[in-house]
Amino acid sequence: MIKFDQVTKRYPGGDEALKNVSLNIEAGEMVFITGNSGAGKSTLLKLIAAIERPTSGIVLVANQNISKLKPSAIPYMRRRFGLIFQDHKLLYDRNCFENVILPLHINGITGLEAAKRVRAALDKVGLLHKEKAMPITLSGGEQQRLAIARAVVSRPSILIADEPTGNLDASYAADIMAIFHAFHQVGVTVIMATHDALGMSATQNRVLHLHQGALTAEKITR
Amino acid sequence: MKNKLNHHFQAIKLVLLRMRNNPLPSIMISLVVGVAMCLPGLFYIGIDNLSKLTNHMQDETEISLFLKLDASATTITEIKALLAENAAIKQFHLVTKDEAWAKLKAASKTSNDNSNSIHQLDKNPLPDAFFIQAKSTDPIALESLKDELQNISGVEQALLNTEWAKRLATLLALGKKITLFISILLGIALLVIIGNTVRMQILTQKDEIEVSNLMGATSSFIRTPFLYAGMFYGLFGGLIAISMMAGVVQLFNYSVTQISNLYSSDFSLPLFNENLFLAIIGIAISIGWLGSYLAVNRSIASIKIN
Repeated sequence: MIKFDQVTKRYPGGDEALKNVSLNIEAGEMVFITGNSGAGKSTLLKLIAAIERPTSGIVLVANQNISKLKPSAIPYMRRRFGLIFQDHKLLYDRNCFENVILPLHINGITGLEAAKRVRAALDKVGLLHKEKAMPITLSGGEQQRLAIARAVVSRPSILIADEPTGNLDASYAADIMAIFHAFHQVGVTVIMATHDALGMSATQNRVLHLHQGALTAEKITR
Repeated sequence: MKNKLNHHFQAIKLVLLRMRNNPLPSIMISLVVGVAMCLPGLFYIGIDNLSKLTNHMQDETEISLFLKLDASATTITEIKALLAENAAIKQFHLVTKDEAWAKLKAASKTSNDNSNSIHQLDKNPLPDAFFIQAKSTDPIALESLKDELQNISGVEQALLNTEWAKRLATLLALGKKITLFISILLGIALLVIIGNTVRMQILTQKDEIEVSNLMGATSSFIRTPFLYAGMFYGLFGGLIAISMMAGVVQLFNYSVTQISNLYSSDFSLPLFNENLFLAIIGIAISIGWLGSYLAVNRSIASIKIN
């Protein structure tokens, strides 16, 4: 599904964020990427989502070479992913329902069908009763759940989450992890960057550890 | 196809919603467009109507051929024959000095002020005259015909009554050029103003654009609402321009009617000039579209995902 072959990413004027990384993620896997801040976790996720291009090496997603994609093809590639960020990236000028419907509008889905899917997504993260609320009135954990609803509403096959529990206290974080596990259970590929090991032990998962841009350890947790 | 229509429909809905939520900037920019379009529009209406008036006068072109006071009946018949042969002349009629004298006397009876002076004259001061209508209305052809008639012996003077209309027409042609020039300048100013407004809007929607990018929005999905915003500014501005022009024309018509009455003409400016109004709205919408198109392409490219 996702394949890195000797990928190096160097930002202009900076050090190498990723050094010679090779990895392979199968469809339906749940993979954690761990490491200190600055280890290159976010860069790795951005390369998968075609937000950044590798300096050298090949990134393949669903057998398509990300660095060879035409700019006009990138939006369609991104629609395969549901992206979740530590800072949520919610839009604070509209309510929860309107936040979640945005990806559907981008996919050309409108009207009743869209509303039905938005409510289903909000229901999955336990926010159905808050569809009219403005995001700013939600707690940190609820905002992250809203961001997850927005990421899954267009039913992507791959969820990419960059430190989704980074700002949350333990009980909220456990909620969020449970939601990700639920999506993994129904066959969604989940790739999550995290600096703590919380919630990883629930099922058997692969953990990729990055240290200063290099892949140093790969282990299976139980 | 249906999807595409839906995409445009959604974009229009979004733009109108944004305008309703934050109406002041939209009203201001529409007003700017309206005033800027109204100005050259009024110039155009004025010049267009004046030139219609002069064209109308030039259509009624007549050459007056005054004979010498001592012209005999044989000279008159000779000239009559010459005129009949001339291919450039459509028709002509003779007003003899006696007829003209009688007419003048009759006219002076109805008007009071110069009655005395006319009746004090003891002999007819008027010459025999031919009034000639030429086939062509072209000023140059008329001029040469006038010169030709002037050279007939027994003719005192040939007068072309359209000299001043010709001069006015030349001035109006100059006025049209100036109007065009002003329109182009104002059009460029509008492009910049609308472009800048749309650019500011894009900056306020930066978050939305970034998030949409991350979710796989195509650049057309992001661009379309801003293009519609520009077009709506043009449309509303055009409508404002039209209503302002209609108001000004209405106001002018009061004075114009008074002047026309003095000249016993029923001339007045037409209140609605559909073609002009459609053109103004069309141009305003195009300028709005182009202005936002230029701004959008530059600004959206500068918003990077981080």
